[in-house]
Parts: sequence; C-alpha cells; structure tokens
Amino acid sequence: MPPKASKGEYIETDTGNKISRRSLIHGTQHIILGGKTVIQSDAVIRGDLYRISSSQQQQQQQHKPTASTSTSTSTTSTTSASPNPSVAITIGRYSYISRQAILRPPSRLHRGVYSFYPLKIGDHVFVGERAVVEAASVGNHVQIGRDAVVGSMAIIKDFACVLDGAVVAPGMVVPSWCVVGGAPARIVGEVGEGYGVEGAEGGMARERYRVVGR
Amino acid sequence: MSRPFPYAYISCPCANTPVPDPSKKRRSRESPQKASHHPDHPKPPPRFDDSEDEQTFDPRAPRSNFSLYPPEHLLYCEDCHQIKCPRCITEEIVCWYCPNCLFETPSSMVKSEGNRCARNCFNCPACTAPLAVNTLENVVRGGTSQQGPWVLSCGYCMWSTLDIGIKFDKPTNIRTQLAKLTATDSNPARSRQMSRTFGELKSPLSTFASIDEPFPPASGEARADDSSDQSTTPLSPDARFHALKNFYKNQISATSSSPNDPLGVDFGAGFSSPGALNRIMSLYTSSSRLSSLYGGASKKPKTKPPVMREALTASEGFQTPAPDAEMSFLQRMAREECGWDGLASLEQRGFQPPTARFVDELLPLATLLRTKRAKRCKSCKHILVKPEQKPQSTRFRIRLIALSYIPLPTLRPLTMPVPPPAGTAAAGVTMAATTTSISMPVNLDALPPLRPTQLLLTLKNHMFDPVRITLATPAVTPGRVASRVTILCPQFDIGANSDVWDEALQANSATAAATADQRSSRSGAGAVAASTTTNNPPFGVYEKVAEAGKVWDKGRNWTTVVLEVVPGTLPPSSATLPPPKTTTTTTTKITETADNDGDSDSNSDTSSFGTGAVPDWTGQAAERDKQQQQQQQQQQPLQPDEDVLEIPVFVRMEWDSENQIDRPGVSAAGEMVKRELAYWMVLGVGRIDPSVLG
Repeated sequence: MPPKASKGEYIETDTGNKISRRSLIHGTQHIILGGKTVIQSDAVIRGDLYRISSSQQQQQQQHKPTASTSTSTSTTSTTSASPNPSVAITIGRYSYISRQAILRPPSRLHRGVYSFYPLKIGDHVFVGERAVVEAASVGNHVQIGRDAVVGSMAIIKDFACVLDGAVVAPGMVVPSWCVVGGAPARIVGEVGEGYGVEGAEGGMARERYRVVGR
Repeated sequence: MSRPFPYAYISCPCANTPVPDPSKKRRSRESPQKASHHPDHPKPPPRFDDSEDEQTFDPRAPRSNFSLYPPEHLLYCEDCHQIKCPRCITEEIVCWYCPNCLFETPSSMVKSEGNRCARNCFNCPACTAPLAVNTLENVVRGGTSQQGPWVLSCGYCMWSTLDIGIKFDKPTNIRTQLAKLTATDSNPARSRQMSRTFGELKSPLSTFASIDEPFPPASGEARADDSSDQSTTPLSPDARFHALKNFYKNQISATSSSPNDPLGVDFGAGFSSPGALNRIMSLYTSSSRLSSLYGGASKKPKTKPPVMREALTASEGFQTPAPDAEMSFLQRMAREECGWDGLASLEQRGFQPPTARFVDELLPLATLLRTKRAKRCKSCKHILVKPEQKPQSTRFRIRLIALSYIPLPTLRPLTMPVPPPAGTAAAGVTMAATTTSISMPVNLDALPPLRPTQLLLTLKNHMFDPVRITLATPAVTPGRVASRVTILCPQFDIGANSDVWDEALQANSATAAATADQRSSRSGAGAVAASTTTNNPPFGVYEKVAEAGKVWDKGRNWTTVVLEVVPGTLPPSSATLPPPKTTTTTTTKITETADNDGDSDSNSDTSSFGTGAVPDWTGQAAERDKQQQQQQQQQQPLQPDEDVLEIPVFVRMEWDSENQIDRPGVSAAGEMVKRELAYWMVLGVGRIDPSVLG
C-alpha cells in the first residue's frame, strides 16, 4: 500500500480501496480487500487472528529443531513460510466498514482445539458504526446496522439486513432477503424485492464509496 | 418513521378507490372488487383522477400508513400499468425451507409433519436463539477423537438441554431422539403412543384405518388404573391431543350412520365443507332432534343412532388435574431454588405445551420453516415476482419491481452555501461553509424552522424510454406544522436508461464523451455532489445558484431539481413555551392565503395556550373545514413524529413506449404508445428543530 503523495485522511490503494489512516488494521498480510472498499477511522480489523492449520503447526514443530531458517521465516510471517497463506479476513468490492466497527474472525473450540476461521465479507456490504462482526460469512448486499453484534460463526446470506443494535446469536443463519433485529436477533421481516437495486436501499454502495474522501 | 433522513416513500394508489385512469390502458382495472375492499372509505371521489384534482395527499393521515412504501417494496404490474404494493398482490408459496439449515422441505412433509424443521435445527426455548449441537466430552486418543454425549446449547443465553436433563447419543437426527426422550420421560407405559407424537400430525385418512386398534383394549384397562395413572405423570400434551382427537374421531365414526358423513372423516374437512356447514346450521335453525343431524330430515335413520359420549379416561386423552396440583405449583414457586428465575415467562410458555410452567420444563423448539413466495397481481393475476425454487438462490425468474418503471427518487440537502433568495434573509448562514467532504452541514435531525433550506431531488429513470416528469406539491405541507415547499423546476425530462456505450459513442468530442460517460456511470444524487465538487473549485460553487424553472443537473438517465423548503414552526409543547409573536404578522398572514398556515397555526396556538381561549378560525377558507376540525386539537402537545417534515409530491410521468406484445388485437407490436403514470410520493426531509423558534 504505497501512500499517496497528498496526506489525506484516506490511503487509496491501487485497487481503489479507501482506508482511513486512523483505522486499526492488524495482520495486513492476512487480509484481502476486493477493491473499492472503504474502511473508516477507528475501525478495527483483526487480521492477526488467522487460522493456523494443523498441518502448518506440525510443519513448524518439525522444522523447529532442524533449521534455523525456517524459524526465522515463521517469525517474520507464517504466510510466507506456507505455500498458501492463511487468510483471516476477506472483504469484497464496494464494502464499507464504518467508524469504530470491529471485524474479527470467528473462532470456536473444535475437537479440543480453539482456532480461528476466516471471515468472508461479500460485495456491497455495509457495516455500521460500532458494529462487531464475527460472522463466518457475510453475503453480498448485506446491511449491518449501527451497534449490531454478529456473533461468532454466524452466516448472513445475500441481501439480508441486520437492524441497528441487533445481536445475531453465535452460529445463527440469516437467510437471504430477511431482516433480523432484536437481542437475540430474530427474523422480523423481509426486505422488498427491489432491495439491492443500484441507488435504492441496499444498493447505495457505489455512492457511499464515491463520497468518501472528497 | 424508521428510515434515516432523507427518505422517499411512494404511495400505492390502491389505498384509494379505484382510479379512472387517464391513460387508455385500463382493461384489467377492476373497480367493483377493489371498491369492496374499502367500503368505509370517507372520500369516494377518486384522488388521482386528473391534474385538476386538488386533493392533497396527507402523509400523516391515518390511512397513509397503509399506502406508503419504500420504493424497493413496490412492484409494478405490466398488465394493469400500475404500481402494486404488498396489499394489492396475492402470494403463493414456492417452497418451504428451514431458515437455519436452508434445506427445502417438501410441502407434503410440511402438511404431514408440521412446519418445523425435521433435522437438527432448534431454537432456544429461553431466548429463541438457534441452538448448536455440542459434545460434552472430547477425548482425543491417537488421532481419532471420541466424542461423548451431545447436547443442544444456546450460544446466546447459555441454556442447554442439560438444564432439562436431556442428552443425545448421536449428533444427528436430534428431533426424533428428542421425541423419543420426551415421550419415554413422561410416561413409559404410553411410549408406543407417544413416540409418534411429533410425527403424528399425519393426514387423518392415514390414521383413520388404524384407529380402532389401540383403543378398545386401552379403554377397558384404563378405567382400572385411573387413579394411579393420574397420580403419576399424565400424558404429554401432544399425546393427549392425539388421544382426544382419535377418540372423538372414533366416536363420530361410530355414531354416524352414513359412511359418507364428512364429520366422520375429519373435523377440519367436515366443518370446512359447505354441506357440513349447512347441516350444522340446520341443527340450530330447525328442530334440535338428533335425527336431523344424521342423514337429513327426509331420510329417517332406521335405528336410533348411538349417542356420542365425551372422553372419560386418561387413555382417551381426558385429564383431571391432581387435587393438589395447584398447591404443589405454589409450593414449588415459593421454594428458594425456584424463585422468579425458575418460572417460565409468558413469552416462553407461549411456545410450550400448556403444562410447562417452570424453566426446567421448557423443551427446545424445532425451528419454524419459512417460505419463498411468488407474487401475483390481485386484479389481473399476472405473476409479478417468482423466485427460483432453491432456498439458497437469490435470483428471480420474474421480478417486476416498481423501480424498473418509476423513477427512483433520491433526496439530499444542497450542501453548498446559497446566497439568500429574494425575500428571505440569512439562508446560507446555518449551512456550513465549503468543506472538503460533503458530509451534511445541514443537520436533518434539527432543521431550523422558517429558514429556507434547499434540497436536491434526483429522479433516476430505469426505463429504456425517456420520461417526462411533472412534479406537483402543495405550497404548504398538510398538518399542523405547515412548511412551505417550492419545487423550482417542476417539469423536466429524464433521459432513457440506455447503454452506457451508446451514450459514449454518440457524444461529440472525446472529452465530452469521457465526462458524460463518467457522469452517467454514477448514480443520481451522488453524481451531482461529485460533479459539483470536482468540477468546480470550492468557492466556485457560489456561481451555481438554484434558479427557478431550471434543472439543477442532468445526467444520462437522471435529472436533479432543487426543492426549496421553509420548515414551519412547531406548536408549543408543554416543555418549551415559545415567545409570543407580534400580532402584526399574525393579522397580515391570516388574511393571506393558505400559504401561511403554519404561522397562524402556531400563533393562535400560542395565544390559546397562554389564555385558554379558543383559537380563532372563523376567517378561514371553506375548503379547510376539515382541517379546522383538526385544529380543534391545537391545544394538544406535539404528537410523536409531528415534527418530521414530510413533503407530499405528486409525480406524473409520461413516456412513449413500444406497445407490448401481450395485447393482441389492440395494435401491432412495435408501435409507440403514449403512457402515463401518476402517483404520490412523500419525501421525508428531516425533523424540525424544536428548540429554535422562528
């Protein structure tokens, strides 16, 4: 990410991502941004919570006693050591992470091992202010309201809408076209068929992107 | 309203009586049917008749609640050429699916098993969050992990089936396991009956054949062990229901003389059929003799039919509560370990068997299924929306949404400082000076009253034909808080939603093409803001002044016009008493036309508030009689959301379109047909600042 010459509030990458200089992004090498993504100030993105696969762990354990080079690589970054770097967070195009939102990869205890899983966020997703997202996957054109909490390993399908202040329980599945709200979140309604049409509700992502940084 | 400002709602014309459409295409409009839906409509004359109809849509009228929809919720019927709201469509179920596992359930299974997920999907009985299947023990021995008994646990409130003492042997097919567990738990003697409880909502015909088999022996012996039966745990509610149902079905078939008696087949089907209803009605109207029931009055039964009896024994589903049941409940409630938290709340009990009163009697709830629905026009039965059947698919086979026909309205405040227009002073003062970002300098949640605010209304056309738009708005918004509204350019054209490349190729110079392309690729309002900020230097924006009769900006398929709003003053609330105004303005304004409604409103209100006198409304015009009745309630404090500035705008669009092929005989396809569509929309601008008083 070469910073632009002008010291604006936002760093604009080659693919058009607009990232606030005041955002807190950890573990950048484990984060994939699809382009034209906006990350506002004070947003926290925890790319450092990536999954260490079991084979990788074994590799490290095997390599540790033998070669000092491998340990050095593993200390610099695990991604360079393994052929396929583990991705913690993927964000699609035209997604918008509002101020003070927190994106954190989901985690769970599976067979006695506590591990993180990748967080996949689709295109045209809006994450409201102070929202905490720990979902396993967030589909396209999803709207997550202000102060909403999306619990660990939740799945939010395309064109879903999480209302402001909703608490989506861990592991919940929000089907497409559904509106969830409340704590714990329940399906309270459905969005209209026109949801996600460019310029209408759910389709404001391009405009949101355009406005940022001007 | 629920949406953040600014918003735009569109009113579906169905809220009013059917409309004599000015356009010729009104074949499928069904006036009598629709009129019958609203028999108590206060204003029978049609509202959208023609331009001379001056009835203003009132966004605050109680009826408006039912006709205003966000644009994306509206559909459009190509046959009726009319906007269709959720009230003017019918729905058909395309498929049933579980919202948790997103598996489709065949509708036959929904009928037989009830509309709950038959797999592993459960909701927490305490908080309704979905339950997860978790293992209790996890022993990893040499690569293979051994996983112990399984429980359902809630990740939200930490409830688990351990709280009610249930563990599962395997992590699959939880629902049948649970059915077995609950059945054997309550009464092992009846387990055969009750293991079928969950799946027992089968078609009545399938169980009909086997009705006699379980009961005759049971009824004999049940009487014997009646007392012991009731002292122990009674039947589970599901089993009891089925026992009762079977018993009465049995009774009916036994007492009914005619084999075709619909009552004997099934309760539901019997009562729903008109013949059965006739029979039941005649029971009450004619003689009360039983013989009239069976076989009708004309044909006398040969023997006296046996009289139906009621359920008597526990095996028949009859239950007498234990004599000390209430006391034991009370004692349990009073006990230390139960307390308030031990009692199930009303919400929780609503989804549980009626006997469940304590939290440790709550059973996990199998997830309710949801449906995907196709939508049809109510009047012409054409399909408007047809989603793909797969539950996971978000695509549609047919999707006639209103947004592809009517222009999409977008409202945004004009952010640049505006020199005060003639007649009003200090317009641009409240607006912040030029800023780098176009974050709103105008706080829409606190609009200063009596100060002109300019708004940009962008209409974006999604049709492939250019559209001519005529906007109309009342000079003063209806209601107590009267704001003045002026659309600076009420008549304009919007370009067709043509191909971007066509547009680029048609443009004259390369640079023009580039800019046009750049602009047109943007969506309406944002493009306006972007173009003004990018093309003009920060202070150059002064040069662009909203002019009456001129379009503010125009793109490939969108046009922006300026709306000038002078928010009215709020009536005084009990909290803030406004300073009384000068009487000179009052008198002059009262003599004026309806334009200054708001001022006079608040004025008389102030005086009445202070002195308790009745507001003087005698000099008002006759057409405001109805309004006067509302003014009687002037003394009332500000109603919720009354301070929201909502502007009703009448939109009339005209365009030439190719004739549809679906109208055979009218004219050949390909011929251009003039069309028009008119509707009301409501622009929610913002909330008027209560603290500032003009």
